Amino acid sequence: MASHTPAVVMDNGTGFSKLGFAGNDSPSFVFPTAIATKGPAAGSGGSGSGRPAVANKPSYLTGGAGPGGHLSMKRGTEDLDFFIGDEALAAANGPGYGIHYPIRHGQVENWDHMERFWSNSIFKYLRVEPEDHYFLLTEPPLNPPENRENTAEIMFESFNCAGLYIAVQAVLALAASWTSSKVSDRSLTGTVIDSGDGVTHVIPVAEGYVIGSSIKSIPIAGRDITYFVQSLLRDRGEPDSSLKTAGEIKEEYCYVCPDIVKEFSRFDRDPTRFVKHLVTQPGGRKVSVDVGYERFLAPEIFFNPEIYSSDFLTPLPTVVDGVIQSSPIDVRRGLYKNIVLSGGSTLYKDFGRRLQRDIKHLVDARIRASEAKSGGARSGGLEVQVISHKRQRHGPWFGGSLLGQTPEFRSYCHTKAEYDEIGPSIVRRFALLGGPGGS
Amino acid sequence: MLLLDYQNVLIQSVLTERFSGAPPVNIDQTVSDFDGVTFHISTPDSKTKILVSIQVKCFNELVKYGAQQVLEREYGPYVVAPENGYNFSVQVDLDNLPDDKEARDDLIRRVSLLKRNAMAAPFEHAFDEHHKLQEEASKFTSEEAPQGVREGGQVMAIHYREEEAIYIKASHDRVTVIFSTIFREETDRVFGKVFIQEFVDARRRAIQNAPQVLFRTDPPLELQGVPGVKDSGNGEIGYVTFVLFPRHLTRQRRDEVISHIQTFRDYFHYHIKASKAYIHSRMRRRTADFLQGKCNPQYKLPTKVLRRARPENEEKERKTASGRTFKVQGS
Repeated sequence: MASHTPAVVMDNGTGFSKLGFAGNDSPSFVFPTAIATKGPAAGSGGSGSGRPAVANKPSYLTGGAGPGGHLSMKRGTEDLDFFIGDEALAAANGPGYGIHYPIRHGQVENWDHMERFWSNSIFKYLRVEPEDHYFLLTEPPLNPPENRENTAEIMFESFNCAGLYIAVQAVLALAASWTSSKVSDRSLTGTVIDSGDGVTHVIPVAEGYVIGSSIKSIPIAGRDITYFVQSLLRDRGEPDSSLKTAGEIKEEYCYVCPDIVKEFSRFDRDPTRFVKHLVTQPGGRKVSVDVGYERFLAPEIFFNPEIYSSDFLTPLPTVVDGVIQSSPIDVRRGLYKNIVLSGGSTLYKDFGRRLQRDIKHLVDARIRASEAKSGGARSGGLEVQVISHKRQRHGPWFGGSLLGQTPEFRSYCHTKAEYDEIGPSIVRRFALLGGPGGS
Repeated sequence: MLLLDYQNVLIQSVLTERFSGAPPVNIDQTVSDFDGVTFHISTPDSKTKILVSIQVKCFNELVKYGAQQVLEREYGPYVVAPENGYNFSVQVDLDNLPDDKEARDDLIRRVSLLKRNAMAAPFEHAFDEHHKLQEEASKFTSEEAPQGVREGGQVMAIHYREEEAIYIKASHDRVTVIFSTIFREETDRVFGKVFIQEFVDARRRAIQNAPQVLFRTDPPLELQGVPGVKDSGNGEIGYVTFVLFPRHLTRQRRDEVISHIQTFRDYFHYHIKASKAYIHSRMRRRTADFLQGKCNPQYKLPTKVLRRARPENEEKERKTASGRTFKVQGS
């Protein structure tokens, strides 16, 4: 049955889940990875013991002590009383429901919620019978193998899905960059800069395998930029400085400038660079918010973190350079040549260009220093290339869609029969999809 | 979420967004629905003309029972020649939408129910046939009715999945709908049996108006002589029979009934999976209880079942104010 159906690609991130079918150029659904269930929210429960919170037992299991003698009253369906995605956020605003985020820091924390989140995504949103489809899921780098096994248990035992492939997000992001015209060979070697809402990762990948020891994280990402914009708005006393307005301004007007000092004077010379942003407040009142220097200052916190944070002071280009320098020496050239951007916070105009220039400066300075030390030897130079492409926002999902539609994808998956034969440990290993020998 | 929706959420959300006046963009999405149905939403000619195509596995059978007429009745002016590789296409022109909001919402609703409407044809056919037979039968008493009226109409078979089919048969006092179901998985079969039993029992409890449901593992008598009906002999294929009585077939009810009964298989499988998820969550909770040594006193089980080897008093690491650590026995 599963012979002609497109593979389902699900990329569950900390903030948002991207769901869709392989072969499409954008996910069919993008919604928050949130689930609203009956009862108080996770935070207020205070059970920090790691004990999973479960729906209460239906009354027919408590020995009939519950109220109501009617038989049909005793069949609990409380476990089906939940919402996911945007509906969850809406339900949590009302009474009776608490909101939970089953994924923390990219990893699944609450498997009960995740299982129900998946069941609802598959049946309500994607509307597929899992037995008919192959699934491509994603995982963060350094995901413990136990988490993979748990995922496989749920996918195969609860949903009986036809086949499963779990790919590392960074590798999929590399695959997504193949659509860029700058990429000539489809290699899976490169450095991925993945900046979402909560955290920014710099991940070196060699031949499709993540170099785990060299991964670095930066505690500056989309949310921090929004907060920074908001604080600038507050300082100026703008009529509306809500987080939503700050987010809108960030997405609509921000860009990366080559030089802050010049940009300031350019703004002073040319007042048309100051713009006004119209906000419709709840209640229908319209106010206008001035947008000024934050247009280029906000993304600048990646390059000069000292203007925002006092405890993290290393600029992004330095981190990227450090990551590549700590990787094995034989892949460094490939890592410099293929620096791929992924995630919503890398979408600012000229972000890639600035990053490339700054890294190039660092590299050239080091080469000059070692040339001077060696006393006359000439270096052949080193190519630094940062690749921006059109699918950056949902990079990992698009990479999954690209690889999921290839004819050989199915042969890389583990099927239900193989799972039944070997058990959950089968998913500890996957053949490298899209690697050498692939299309 | 007890019931599944009838409409395709993606079509609905895409059209709602497009109709809201957002600037037109290119769309090209191929999406699946239950039962191997494929939709293709695209803007082939210009950004304002959205083409929605559907491909159904059993479309030829559906056409035989009047699907084309039903779809033309539902979509009238929007029908266009089917896209290559698909069975049926509808085109919506964004520049040419109905003016008032209600009509637009209705259009969105209708387009997103494309699959439901395509599959509805044999049911409508059967319901009409039932009304006709009912009228004829009212002229006779049950003994002297001619053979054709007493026996009812032909069995209509819709092979909507590779191994499963819906059979519909109209007669003068009821419409019988039979689903053949197959389970690859032993666990699913057990869950399925429990579920079906619930359906069968539903009438015995509170819900007197529910249609009668029968479950058996060999083909029911209605299906005797229908080509393609196999008796696997080992109970792998089950047959679920719904008997719809005239009170379910009234004009006001019929749309609702058709929608409901179409989603039966998906509903069935969805709930089997949801029950498994529920049982898994209880298993996880119990494991956590055993690990933690906390246990519901009602079960009178020994505590810490899974951690007996661990010492009662563990060495704990403590910190002084200056940040140095030291170990302390017990607590």
